[in-house]
Amino acid sequence: MSASLTLDSLVKVFDDPARPAVDGVSFAVAPGECLAILGPSGSGKSTVLRSIAGLDVPSAGRILVDGTDVAGLAPERRGMAMVFQRPLLFPHLSVLDNVAFAATVAGQPKREARADATQFLELVQLAGFGSRPVTALSGGQEQRVALARALAARPRVLLLDEPFSALDPQLRGDMHVLLAAIRAQLAPTVVMVTHDRDEAAVVADRVALLQRGRLLQHDTVERLYTRPDSLEVSRLMGGRNELPGTVIGGVHRSAAGGVPAPEGETWAEGSGVLVVRQEALQVAAAGASAPEGFVALAVVVADRRARGPRAELELAVITDDAPDARPDSLGSTRLLAEVPASRPLAVGDRATVLVPRSACTVVAG
Amino acid sequence: MAMMIPYGQRITPDDRTTTSRGLMRPRPGGRALRVAVATVLALWFALPLVPLLLWAVANRWSFPAPLPTAWGVDGLVTALEQGAAPAFGRSLLLGLAVAAIATPLGALAARALTRGIVPAPRLVSALLLAPLALPAFVAVMGLTVLLLRARVPATLAVLLLLVAAALPYTVYTMRVAYAAHDLAYEEEARTLGASRLAVLVRVHLPLVAPGLARAAFLAFLVGWSDYVVTVLVGGGSLVTLPLLVGSYAAGVGNEAIVAVLSLGAIVPPLVLLLALGRFGRRYPTARFTGPTPSRSPKGSP
Repeated sequence: MSASLTLDSLVKVFDDPARPAVDGVSFAVAPGECLAILGPSGSGKSTVLRSIAGLDVPSAGRILVDGTDVAGLAPERRGMAMVFQRPLLFPHLSVLDNVAFAATVAGQPKREARADATQFLELVQLAGFGSRPVTALSGGQEQRVALARALAARPRVLLLDEPFSALDPQLRGDMHVLLAAIRAQLAPTVVMVTHDRDEAAVVADRVALLQRGRLLQHDTVERLYTRPDSLEVSRLMGGRNELPGTVIGGVHRSAAGGVPAPEGETWAEGSGVLVVRQEALQVAAAGASAPEGFVALAVVVADRRARGPRAELELAVITDDAPDARPDSLGSTRLLAEVPASRPLAVGDRATVLVPRSACTVVAG
Repeated sequence: MAMMIPYGQRITPDDRTTTSRGLMRPRPGGRALRVAVATVLALWFALPLVPLLLWAVANRWSFPAPLPTAWGVDGLVTALEQGAAPAFGRSLLLGLAVAAIATPLGALAARALTRGIVPAPRLVSALLLAPLALPAFVAVMGLTVLLLRARVPATLAVLLLLVAAALPYTVYTMRVAYAAHDLAYEEEARTLGASRLAVLVRVHLPLVAPGLARAAFLAFLVGWSDYVVTVLVGGGSLVTLPLLVGSYAAGVGNEAIVAVLSLGAIVPPLVLLLALGRFGRRYPTARFTGPTPSRSPKGSP
């Protein structure tokens, strides 16, 4: 059921040759792996998926399934089932016949096709729903049936095009659990398109981050967050802290002070922007000293914004140029830190921010 | 400064809210008006049928008498003697043939136009709708000469012209059907392993079937009820029901025969219309009566 998938410099041009929708995207997905293609709207992620499915014909580049080029192969011969954002259940068929569709068109007798479909309805926890018309399902149930229908086609690669985006958060969570259970049981190779960072983090083993048709980074979720390749990646992943400066002798020097590279890593000498996740920063009482592996910076809370269970603190770094904490004399160097909403830090309070060296990365400005 | 609105108090006054929702609610007296309009419409459609029904069973009906003066089925007998049955059959065949050709052609044109793969789509749409704007008589007079010169058999010529006349209806109906049709269903079917043919048979046609039925019905009516083309191009070699009606209606004292023929002409469209109402509707809807463990409220995804 699972195959490896390799994309080799895939290019897709629609109208304007100067602005390809997909511009030289390459990545590999191992059998049984789940890759999330993450990107903002218009980044070309759906086009990549449609090219893999054979619904769009790439302008250049190769798509290999188990090492074999699938160029020129019609969509129905590629062995890839797709689940779209809309369930697209065939309205003239019952739930069971929808799931049995792939077996029916493959020429299996109706009875066997239906027996087979029954198993997949059970797999998505909809046993007993087979005889219903598809209009008698809720949105979450519809998407489960769509998933069962795709799995029943025994795809070599399962393609998911923002399949859970239209569901409410609770249902989306249920679907993530279901997908994890399916992966544990059937180990299909999955390529999923999403614009939701959290969904990619929950569902996928690795993430391919796309912007304007280009692959910015193909990496594990954790590395995308903590070791972005570029400022673009950091920003797309929601990173808010950027300190422009220069790396001299393995230490990044900026208006906020010096931060040495993490143990065992080296940063390229010269100018670079230090990025660190707002979730990684720790806020301690004013005057606290830095433990091993941390850099301490004296700060003043310049702003505080509620973010549900968390609070977002904008911290103005007190530098040698502006040693006192009067708001008008605070420097422009700001750090953003997320703390639990219960922390009683108010605007104007002094504090110490502890920057873990292991969470820092320097990228090219 | 934030607006100070106590909890529980609505920003929009209640009566204004209900007024705006009242757009959906029948006005006072609206029901009576609807019933009155429906009654007038029903009478308008039904009244012409009453004298027709009476004439069909009248041997004689002198002018001032409110009801036929002599009852009988002379009209029916004469109509059958004059070849009403074969004419009925020819009309039926003509209507079916027009529907069988114009419906797929209209569907193809509509699909191409809807998908935006036609160059100069506005011009093509206008051309396809042109037969509606052009008086049939004008087109037919010109084409008769052409078709005669080309030695096209009269019956075939009639069929060709009627298909052209039916195309605007089928194209328009199918454009409406395709506008509501979602190509993603077909793409989904392809990725599930269905060939182009399987997609056509198992997904595409079932999804547009109601539209096809409506288009075929309209095309059938064009063939079934045509008079001008059959007379001018057929030149009397193809005697259909409307021709028979026309020739008897032109004479005097044939009211009973005309009534019988006219009633016969109503039957097939009526039967088809009823069939359309019965089978032409979209897919089974949620009449499922069992428990629906819906976890999201109705209407939300």
